[in-house]
Amino acid sequence: MIQTKNLTRSFKNGDVITQVLKGIDFAAHDGEFVSIMGRSGAGKSTLLYQLSLLDDPTGGEILIDGHQAHTMSPEEKMLFRLVKFGYVFQDYALLPELTALENVALPLLMQGKGKREAYKISQEALERAGLGKRLGNLSSQLSGGEQQRVSIVRAIAHQPKVLFADEPTANLDNESSKVIMDIFLELHRAGQTIIMVTHEEPYAKLADRIVHLDDGKIVSTTENQRRG
Amino acid sequence: MFSSLNIKIGLYLALRQIRRASLWTTSLIIFVMILTFLNLVVVSGVLVGLIQGSIDQVRTKYTSDVIVSTLNDKAYIENSPNIIALIKSMPEVAAISPRYRESGSLEANYKTRKDTDKPNTAPGQVAGIDPKEENAVTGIAKDIVEGSFLEEGDYDQVVLGHYLLKQYVPIETPAFSTLNNVGIGTKIRLKVGDVTREVTVKGIIKSKVDEIALRTFMLDTQFRSIIGRTDGNVSEIAIKLKPGSDPVAVRDSLKRSGVDRYAKVQTYEDAQPKFLQDIVATFNMLGNAFSSIGLVVASITIFIVIFINALTRRKYIGILKGIGISGNAIEMSYVFQSIFYALFGSAIGLLLVYGFLVPAFAAHPIDFPFSDGILVAPFDQTFFRVGLLVIATLVAGYIPAWMIIRKNTLDSILGRN
Repeated sequence: MIQTKNLTRSFKNGDVITQVLKGIDFAAHDGEFVSIMGRSGAGKSTLLYQLSLLDDPTGGEILIDGHQAHTMSPEEKMLFRLVKFGYVFQDYALLPELTALENVALPLLMQGKGKREAYKISQEALERAGLGKRLGNLSSQLSGGEQQRVSIVRAIAHQPKVLFADEPTANLDNESSKVIMDIFLELHRAGQTIIMVTHEEPYAKLADRIVHLDDGKIVSTTENQRRG
Repeated sequence: MFSSLNIKIGLYLALRQIRRASLWTTSLIIFVMILTFLNLVVVSGVLVGLIQGSIDQVRTKYTSDVIVSTLNDKAYIENSPNIIALIKSMPEVAAISPRYRESGSLEANYKTRKDTDKPNTAPGQVAGIDPKEENAVTGIAKDIVEGSFLEEGDYDQVVLGHYLLKQYVPIETPAFSTLNNVGIGTKIRLKVGDVTREVTVKGIIKSKVDEIALRTFMLDTQFRSIIGRTDGNVSEIAIKLKPGSDPVAVRDSLKRSGVDRYAKVQTYEDAQPKFLQDIVATFNMLGNAFSSIGLVVASITIFIVIFINALTRRKYIGILKGIGISGNAIEMSYVFQSIFYALFGSAIGLLLVYGFLVPAFAAHPIDFPFSDGILVAPFDQTFFRVGLLVIATLVAGYIPAWMIIRKNTLDSILGRN
């Protein structure tokens, strides 16, 4: 379970302090698929960055399985991100000098797996995502949809506890977006915890729950009936 | 911190970044490294080579590998025949040239000058040699620029060093007198002690070694009669060793045999004037100073290249950190890239220096007034400089990577300042 208590985040620009998150109490249970929605500037991406330990909150608590994550050292957070979390970024965030296979294998290698094992896991994961013929392609040689699929495979190849996705379909056409969301649903059915920021309501409705943010606060939570 | 895993991941990333980097960028960086390497090695190498060329010439054309010469308080080497026999019996010795040497003077135009005119004279050393033996040791016959070298049977014929002739010395100074209107076939007066002999100029020898350029050579058999030496005692013995023989070992062996009781026994290095050794040390120091500047320039270049590289890749560095790749592993990737540039540039530089420049300088030395400048690049010094270059680029590559990597991960991903 990942949880926040009275989470705040503000940014200082000269003398001006902008409060982006204003006391967020949020929880996502194991195996849950949560969408975070809100208009631009509502603080949804900022919340995702706090939850995923990419950024440090100004105040409040982040608890992961009861452990206080916000007090971890940068090295501990790095290790947590490597082992427990997976990330899907809006712009795919693949490393341009690595092939699809190498992009997926890199976090596995960093976990200490041997090259042969890391490549085997990565290859199988990419094949399952329909990218078996794209293993040796650089990101520049892949379409947007393919790049996002590689990004998802990289995020889940090490079987993370939580998969974070920041507007994963924002740069994709409808057809590619549907493929991505199908993958998310399949992962969710397999028990993967997913926290996704999106501004597209049809995709948000595929989650178990939609958390609506406005002006740095959770204004409502909608339980979806999809699974019921 | 720099665990084996970080090093492994750093190398993994570095290899792929180098392999898939722009060919032009990589080529440009390597080109800069080659120039830096050449600056490190060639500038000081040429400076030292100026003097080394002179030292080499003195060794080749005058002292050879070992020289035995008169003690300071003696006019000649006593017991010379026995010493010569001893030297010839040594297995390391390839050839020797015993020389008679006395101070003397030359006079030209004495037939045409009036009694009131100032005589046209030039002082200098006169050497009596066996042309075959001398040529076997120094090969100076090849340096004849006019006429021909001495031969057995020549009578009253001399070969003059070119500094004795006005046409070869463009400067005029009262301290340095030369013979005017003297060429091949000209008769001149040779005066050694109280003996004056009219001799004919047979050849003119041109050399950048003063001991040759200021000498008058004639057959030893004739010179002995001029100086009245019949005991076979000579003034100096130049000893050429077989390839691979150690001059120091031969010198020490001769000393152990007691030769140093009758003569000075020196290797070509011992016989170098101290000022020459001082100049070599000074030029070495100057070369090191220039090299240090080159090293700083190379470090700054690599710093800028890696900094720009890391800055433009800041987003990807953020992503790497975001997905859990350790900052040390990312730093290592830049360190490995720097080392690659330094090693690759140095490798090409080494090929250029030893495959092209050193042989080219040896075949076509720079024609300096006092020496034939060569490129001196001893392996140990060169590899020491390669090591310096690698260390400098390693540090220059690490610092900018460290500067970028320590920035906030999210700010890097989002491109925020």
